[in-house]
Amino acid sequence: MKLTIDGKSVIAKEGQTVLECALNNDISIPHLCTHSQLSAFGACRLCLVEIDGIRGYPTSCTTPAADAMVVRTDTQALQNLRRNILALMMLEHPSACLVCSRRELCEQFRPEAERTGRTTGCHTCSNKEICEVRALSEELGFAELPVPPAYHERPVERSEPFMDRDLNLCILCGRCVRICKHHQGRAVIDFVGRGSQTHIGQAFGNSLLDAGCQFCGACVDVCPTGSLADRYAKWYGRPEAVAESTCIFCDHACALALGTKNGKVTAAQAVDENVPVCVLGRFAVPEFLNGTDRLSTPHMRVGQRLRQIPWEQALEMVAGKLRQFAGDGFALVCDTTSTLEDRHIFKKFTNEVMKSTNYIEIEPDAHGVSRGSLPAGTKAALLTGNFVDLAALKELGLSIVQDCYPTPVSQRADVVLPAAVLAEVEGTILDRSGRKRPLHKACEPPGQAKPEWWIICRLAEAMGAEGFEYESAEAISKELRISNAQLWVDRVEAPPAATDFKLRRTHFRGHRIDEKVRGLRELPVEDPCALEPAQEKHEGAFGILEKHEIAPNVHEIIIQAPEVAKKALPGQFVIAMVDEKSERVPYTLCGWDAQAGTITLVVLEKGQSSRKLILLSAGDKLVHVVGPLGVPLDIELYGTVVLAAGCYGIGGIVPIVEAMKDAGNRVVVVTEARSHYLHYYKKKLQGLCDEFVETTIDGSVGVKGHAIDAIAEKLKAGEKMDCVIAVGCPFMMMVTAQETKPFGVKTLAALNPIMLDGTGMCGACRVTVGNQTKFACVDGPFFDAHLIDWDELRDRRAAYSAQEIHSLGRTEAVVTGHSGGSGCKCLH
Amino acid sequence: MAKEKIPRQPMPEQAPEDRARNFEEVPYGYSEQTAILEAGRCLKCKKPKCVAGCPVGIDIPGFIALVQEGKFIEAAWKVKEQNALPAVCGRVCPQEEQCEKLCVLGVKGEPVAIGRLERFVADYERNSGKISVPKIPPKTGKHVAIVGAGPAGLTVAGDMIKRGHDVTVFEALQEPGGVLTYGIPEFRLPKTIVQAEVNYLKRLGVRFVMDFVVGRNSTIRELMDDEGYNAVFIGSGAGLPSFMRVPGENLVGVYSANEYLTRSNLMKAYLFPAYDTPPIKRQRVAVIGGGNVAMDSARTALRLGADVTIVYRRAREQMPARDEEIHHAEQEGVKLKLLNNPTRVIGDDRHRVVAMECIKMELGEPDDSGRRRPIPVEGSEFIMELDTVIVAIGNKPNPLIPQTMPELETTRWGTIVVDESTMATSVPGVYAGGDIVSGAATVILAMGQGRIAAASMHKYLNGAQPK
Repeated sequence: MKLTIDGKSVIAKEGQTVLECALNNDISIPHLCTHSQLSAFGACRLCLVEIDGIRGYPTSCTTPAADAMVVRTDTQALQNLRRNILALMMLEHPSACLVCSRRELCEQFRPEAERTGRTTGCHTCSNKEICEVRALSEELGFAELPVPPAYHERPVERSEPFMDRDLNLCILCGRCVRICKHHQGRAVIDFVGRGSQTHIGQAFGNSLLDAGCQFCGACVDVCPTGSLADRYAKWYGRPEAVAESTCIFCDHACALALGTKNGKVTAAQAVDENVPVCVLGRFAVPEFLNGTDRLSTPHMRVGQRLRQIPWEQALEMVAGKLRQFAGDGFALVCDTTSTLEDRHIFKKFTNEVMKSTNYIEIEPDAHGVSRGSLPAGTKAALLTGNFVDLAALKELGLSIVQDCYPTPVSQRADVVLPAAVLAEVEGTILDRSGRKRPLHKACEPPGQAKPEWWIICRLAEAMGAEGFEYESAEAISKELRISNAQLWVDRVEAPPAATDFKLRRTHFRGHRIDEKVRGLRELPVEDPCALEPAQEKHEGAFGILEKHEIAPNVHEIIIQAPEVAKKALPGQFVIAMVDEKSERVPYTLCGWDAQAGTITLVVLEKGQSSRKLILLSAGDKLVHVVGPLGVPLDIELYGTVVLAAGCYGIGGIVPIVEAMKDAGNRVVVVTEARSHYLHYYKKKLQGLCDEFVETTIDGSVGVKGHAIDAIAEKLKAGEKMDCVIAVGCPFMMMVTAQETKPFGVKTLAALNPIMLDGTGMCGACRVTVGNQTKFACVDGPFFDAHLIDWDELRDRRAAYSAQEIHSLGRTEAVVTGHSGGSGCKCLH
Repeated sequence: MAKEKIPRQPMPEQAPEDRARNFEEVPYGYSEQTAILEAGRCLKCKKPKCVAGCPVGIDIPGFIALVQEGKFIEAAWKVKEQNALPAVCGRVCPQEEQCEKLCVLGVKGEPVAIGRLERFVADYERNSGKISVPKIPPKTGKHVAIVGAGPAGLTVAGDMIKRGHDVTVFEALQEPGGVLTYGIPEFRLPKTIVQAEVNYLKRLGVRFVMDFVVGRNSTIRELMDDEGYNAVFIGSGAGLPSFMRVPGENLVGVYSANEYLTRSNLMKAYLFPAYDTPPIKRQRVAVIGGGNVAMDSARTALRLGADVTIVYRRAREQMPARDEEIHHAEQEGVKLKLLNNPTRVIGDDRHRVVAMECIKMELGEPDDSGRRRPIPVEGSEFIMELDTVIVAIGNKPNPLIPQTMPELETTRWGTIVVDESTMATSVPGVYAGGDIVSGAATVILAMGQGRIAAASMHKYLNGAQPK
């Protein structure tokens, strides 16, 4: 078939749609609901085109290509239509960042997404780097919302294993629903509700687990927005590289695409998008590899203790000892999850170097359990996993464990050697039907861990043996004439565990996988031996009386803290600890009642510690609250005082507004938010100040722009301002300071760096103000905003970003005993 | 003189290769046999000089005699008559500068290991579970407020409760112990020991109020006038870290020793992610300073996996740290770079430390401290590549209390002025001791001052009219 698209003559294959034909010929047509794995759906309507002889604007994804068709994809009319369609979509998606006038400056100042609970804009979205909606809006030059956007205030769903869902971002493209049906053959998830209430969900409001979700993760992989996210991977951002290898958790040997960042595997997906992998392949690999207790250095027993030693010494020492055990007194035990190359070396070493016939290779059972025993009379053993009973060790003169994680056996061994596993090694394995599948190295093993063939080859060399001079797994494969190992991408059927997670393996080389991968503990197995999750109960003295989510991510919390309430003054803060293991985190005092002995905090859920705090509910207690801390703001008669506030700062300015008003000032309050639904305390503030101005980045209410835009407008109009006080995120305060400076208006900002003690003892909160070092806790929090080194403040605040991602990434599902946990519905 | 033939008994300890990677305590302590053997070395001088060297005046020959008899618990009680925190002092006191320095045996040979014996009896008592609670005299009805639950405050608390007064200790952090908790690392002073000492005081009836910042939640004036406290002891410590005042000091990766140690000790960052506070795990660390705090920081960094160098501007002889600490640090693999001083810290485009410039120093004439003054050698600057700098060059007194009590007389360094014979401040009923008075000194010196303060507070309370 020959047709013309945008004046270009192209050939279409039988059965191709116009869209497929165009894309095949490098003609881009914007599209969203279409996905290479899915049949045409025609839901998003972005791919509409003009075709001669067809009335209106047909969707190219559903229109079959036909001979002699003349198609236009890029006319002005189409562009306008698409922009309007996108704008409609953006009315139900947090889109403010897409129309922000300071977008470039913001990206430059804070390129990393902020790790909030709910996503209320690209800037707080884990999907930011790979978002298709964002890319499309850039492509279409989208800059204006026709009417204010809606926010559905749906709870953030994060109590399911492995996946977070924030359906407030959902554009209803239906990709997840379709891929789920495609992969699982039934509707675990579907469109629920009608009209404007339509959303993705499970029948009868069941949990994913109860609805029969198998956690194959395909829905996450196809979601064009940040609605569906892999909890472990989400904050790591886009992988720097992707490597393909074979999963060895079981012998179905699925091909995995492993995304890596900073040398770590952070995500895994099926290589063959048409066939799902099981929950282990999709979600367990990164967490298993990145466990903090991986064996990473060789250890040797000295008395009661395992002592860390360098590889050279370890090998020499083991070599020396092993010489005394040549003959059948030596046994090597491995299982078939080791590569063919490794096992060849194991066997060769046992037979040729140790002159023993006791090379023992265990075939794991259906659960992945590999148990074996040592032959009678064994005096020395080398174990490449947790295969034998502890009792067996007692009889041995020498026990060597080569493994990836510590076990009771390795704790009692004479020598422990750290082994690289899974995506850390090269080699070949056999799948269940005997075909060769390749392992490719995607990341470095932890510390000094080494591939198993390397360990045994170097050991053999240390013992003076010849024929072990291999320098790579490839060299061994060559000798074994292993060739043609292919990733399994052409499969017809999914592995059984992909459609029934109960059939997954529970063990890998004698280790319980769910000990290392928390989310698995929630999923029943056929042979139930699940671990009891440890419940920690903390008793505290600072009870939460009330807690409301007053805007998405913003929580108002009233806490019993009489000693704080008694002395609090405007501008001061407290340091709170949720439990005895928490960080000490400062929060601005947003109100207090000395008589009732209560304080009010407005907390933005961002990062690990505030998340812990907002997951508490009324009736729960914090273990520590100390304050008031910091120098109170100077309350005096300035004349006109302008308060610029954003996010938690809108709560933070309340006491200041009251005090400044009492001092006789004319008080102007300017609040900013990305969109109208993120504003809160409007009535409260209106009642307190002389003039109240609201701004929104998307222009959905009040002045379009940041708070400073409203202030600058007033300054330009010649309005008199004696003092501007900014309370909010560093970016907002920086922008305010930069733009009041030319007008020479005194500007103060409330700084919020990382703190530890909050009483001047540690200096963690150092800031540079006018080239002088100040401690924000005892010299601040208020400083002359025109003198602050904002870049330094930003970087000091981000000092522990990597650790925080790691800690957020532990894929623990949030236990939600109350609606507040996943974002309560008591907004406004 | 058979006794002199017994050599000073060494204390077994973890091998450096092991301990450099774990946070367990370094020495294991004496066994019963070794303790008896060591106690047997004591000459039981009629006029014991050792006691004079003890800032709290422990009856040293008395308790050692009980050890020799195998009466370990009684020996512990003997020590506790004068010292509220023997398990702590047995570990962190500089005995070689105090009691052991004056021991007669030390003139010709090695002094009796008084510190090790003190540690032994305190541990023995604690592990036996037979902790004695002395009889408390009838309540006097007087209330004493103690600001800061560090070594000075805890000593005063113990002394005052035993004299029949009501005692309340106010602490700003979430756990009591002060520097014993946030500063001295687990491997040098296990936190269970501090906890046990605090529990002992609680059993005696001392009330601890955590998360309370005197100066913010109440001023001292308010404690006395409104809350009914008859006397106040200020032991708020030296809580404001000094920095070097060189360019680049606010880069990400430059820490005060206070922050570095607090993260690890108080917040248990080395147990991250089980605890939420992230540790500072880096590759190449320089610790600036030559005191005990510098040693603690260096050895903590080593345990977190770093390659550690101590940079000190004078020579080894001038290092204020205990010899044992320097020795332990070197054994574990900490490197010393002596007669060098940082001139600037260099960062990358994200304000992260990548290097430090130092200048070589030479020693000149003695300065105020009697130590030879270090002088920079012009043009000798060089660059050290590293990712972390820990500044352990001392602390200034925390200004919060003097700031909120103008009538309290202070020195130009911000320390509180006291009469050293009574530890009384310029304000009647208010006493002070520890680092808020002496700048930055040792645990035992703070405790010694605490004892003096307690004695004079007791006198003051007996003479004063109850409110």
